[in-house]
Amino acid sequence: MDVIQDSSDFEAYRKTESRKNSVEEQDLTQHYEVLQELGDCYTSVGNGAQAQRCYEKAASLGPDEPGPYVGLGVVALQKNLLEDAEIAFRVACRLDANCAKAYAGLAMVAQQRADYKHAFEMYLKCLELDTDNLTALLGLFQTSCKMNSFAEVIHYLEVYLNMHPGDTSVMLSLAALYMKDGRFEQSKKILLDILTLDPANKDAANLLEEVEHSLVQTRQGTAFCNKSQNGTQAGV
Amino acid sequence: MLENQETKVGPVVSVLIPTFNRPRYLSEALASAVRQSYRNLQIIVVNDGGEDVSSIVNSFSDSRIMFINRNENRGKAFSLNEALDRAEGKYIAYLDDDDLYYPNHIETLVDVLENKTDCQVAYSDLYKVYYKIMSDGSRQVLSKVVKVSRDFDRFFMLYFNHVLHVSLMHRRDLLEKTGLYNEELNVLIDWDMTRRLAFFSDFQHVYEITGEFDGSVAGSDRISIQRRKDNSEYSRNVLTIRTTRPAKPWTKIKDMSIIFIADRLNRQTGKTLGSIWRHTFYPYEIYLPLPQADLDRLNTDMPNLIRVPVNPLASETERIDAVLARCDGEYIAIVPGGFAIKEMWVENSLYALINPAPIRREPMLNRCGISGEGFELEGSMDTLWAAVLRKSDLQHARRSFPDLPVRQSLKAAGIVLRPPGFEELPFQFDNLLGEAQLAGKNGNWAQAAQMFEYIADNHQNQLSMRTQAAKAFFKAGSHARAAKLSCEVNQQRPTVDTLLLEAKVKREKKNFDSAIELLKRAEQILEGRELLWT
Repeated sequence: MDVIQDSSDFEAYRKTESRKNSVEEQDLTQHYEVLQELGDCYTSVGNGAQAQRCYEKAASLGPDEPGPYVGLGVVALQKNLLEDAEIAFRVACRLDANCAKAYAGLAMVAQQRADYKHAFEMYLKCLELDTDNLTALLGLFQTSCKMNSFAEVIHYLEVYLNMHPGDTSVMLSLAALYMKDGRFEQSKKILLDILTLDPANKDAANLLEEVEHSLVQTRQGTAFCNKSQNGTQAGV
Repeated sequence: MLENQETKVGPVVSVLIPTFNRPRYLSEALASAVRQSYRNLQIIVVNDGGEDVSSIVNSFSDSRIMFINRNENRGKAFSLNEALDRAEGKYIAYLDDDDLYYPNHIETLVDVLENKTDCQVAYSDLYKVYYKIMSDGSRQVLSKVVKVSRDFDRFFMLYFNHVLHVSLMHRRDLLEKTGLYNEELNVLIDWDMTRRLAFFSDFQHVYEITGEFDGSVAGSDRISIQRRKDNSEYSRNVLTIRTTRPAKPWTKIKDMSIIFIADRLNRQTGKTLGSIWRHTFYPYEIYLPLPQADLDRLNTDMPNLIRVPVNPLASETERIDAVLARCDGEYIAIVPGGFAIKEMWVENSLYALINPAPIRREPMLNRCGISGEGFELEGSMDTLWAAVLRKSDLQHARRSFPDLPVRQSLKAAGIVLRPPGFEELPFQFDNLLGEAQLAGKNGNWAQAAQMFEYIADNHQNQLSMRTQAAKAFFKAGSHARAAKLSCEVNQQRPTVDTLLLEAKVKREKKNFDSAIELLKRAEQILEGRELLWT
């Protein structure tokens, strides 16, 4: 009599082994991530040489990643090497057509070259992909001021503030744009909100003074018009 | 630089390095052994019939190196035994030809074994390194991750390995008890040895990362990985390992005798025996009380099977008594023919018997060594009764009430049999870990993080579970919690993962200088500066 031995696949063992041997995504990107983070930190403290070293190594580890090229573009921009910056940002765009930061970089290059129209387009493209991008938002604000075209930037600033209520720098920009657009009451309301959040905000206080002055002038102008109209009607 | 290091005096450590057809990496591996801060080494390199590596070995000109250059390929187990035959060290350490020790590896483990523990086996943690193979054949490090960092768990070790062989050091004289490497095996030979070591010693887990091993796709050219693809070979090896019983006395494991009760030998009996063979990982001997005629018909290569001839008319109780008179397991499992055998069929109840729940503390043994408690096996019923209990309890019941059937005698002797409670089951750590990992896989990182923290607090393995918790908290958006945990882990033992995590949070808080320091440390590890003298 044989002891029957079923064919056993020892599934539990294989599961234990496969869990032990599983390769997670981070197992393949960790070195890249360290270098990218380090590059970003060096960029933030203005150490362009070290940042560049890190980004170049990161690019060799993650040749398909746009991040290192965005970083290299920023470093070049800091050194005012506009051509190098543009090339790096374009590579990033080519690697990832939806890389919002790369479009913001291209916009900044264009802005430095005083090509406000192109800068405006690139900032807009960036914001379409990432409405949260503060650099693009403020860049859009600056180029709008240069071009006297406020409608779109007001929209993006409003969207941003819906997501980040209380960001006083953006609130101030929006208040300034409302004022330029003649929407004094809306501007005044935002400025009062800023001063509630930050009573020592001098820029907001100064702008509020200007807005209130404009409001008074507007009211006076309206009153004058009404008076003239009434006089005309009365045959004065 | 080596000359500047203070010469360490201590017991000789034999480092075994088997190699086969990987000359490209052997040089680095050997260099990492030669450059150990602990100098009292015997380094034995065994070429297992592969490419000639004489020039590599000779290039070191180090009198501590012994080179065995064999032309014939005999396998890793044979090579290790060949090296052990020449080993003279008090301790044995292992290094594969594509793995690396950090300079403190041997010193760390010797210090622990000599001064800090009663264990005769110790192991540290290692980085698993993933590489990208460049067009010129060189390797670029993609990551270094501590994948296996588990506190010693004897019950799990019987089930499967959880200690990396390269991180292992043990006393050489333990091999007199365990025996040498099993040359019949062609996979899992490491587990076979660590499992046997667990019969005689506890293992001390050292929470230091003292080396690294290749985990990249290129590592899949390993012979053992190729062999694992062969299902039947794999099963044969697992079965061989699980049924291996080193010579007694065992100091750390108590034996189990399984009494298999069947009226006659038939197809059903054979099937159940086969299932027991396949599904039992706790060391056992199986006693088969059957009439001589049936035993004569039994034709099997099933190991650890002991034939006990009984009178064909013997009752079930008489058969159990016949086995009890001669079996020597401290635990007895009684199993009827036809009982459903599946994974953990006996181990769930056995674990509860071996490890009383904390609330009950130690089993209350009376003067006669009677605990008064046993466990029924899952699936046990009145008509198909199966249980596991201490031999002393069963003997006491049989001596006290020899005329009663076994179950009644146990009851009369006051020995209570019950199924184990959930909290008494083994592998709680593994089950919880599996659930936490599943929660993470499903994107429920907050839940995963809490589970990892719970495991860390209640099931040992603190460092690795807190690392997992930190990563999960970060993914769940709880960055402050992630930062706190990773900072705590980094103070105890920094890893690339936790340094990166802490740095990310520092950067978010615009604390760039601290982030840079953490990332620089991570970069140093990734670029192999752990391998250099500092």
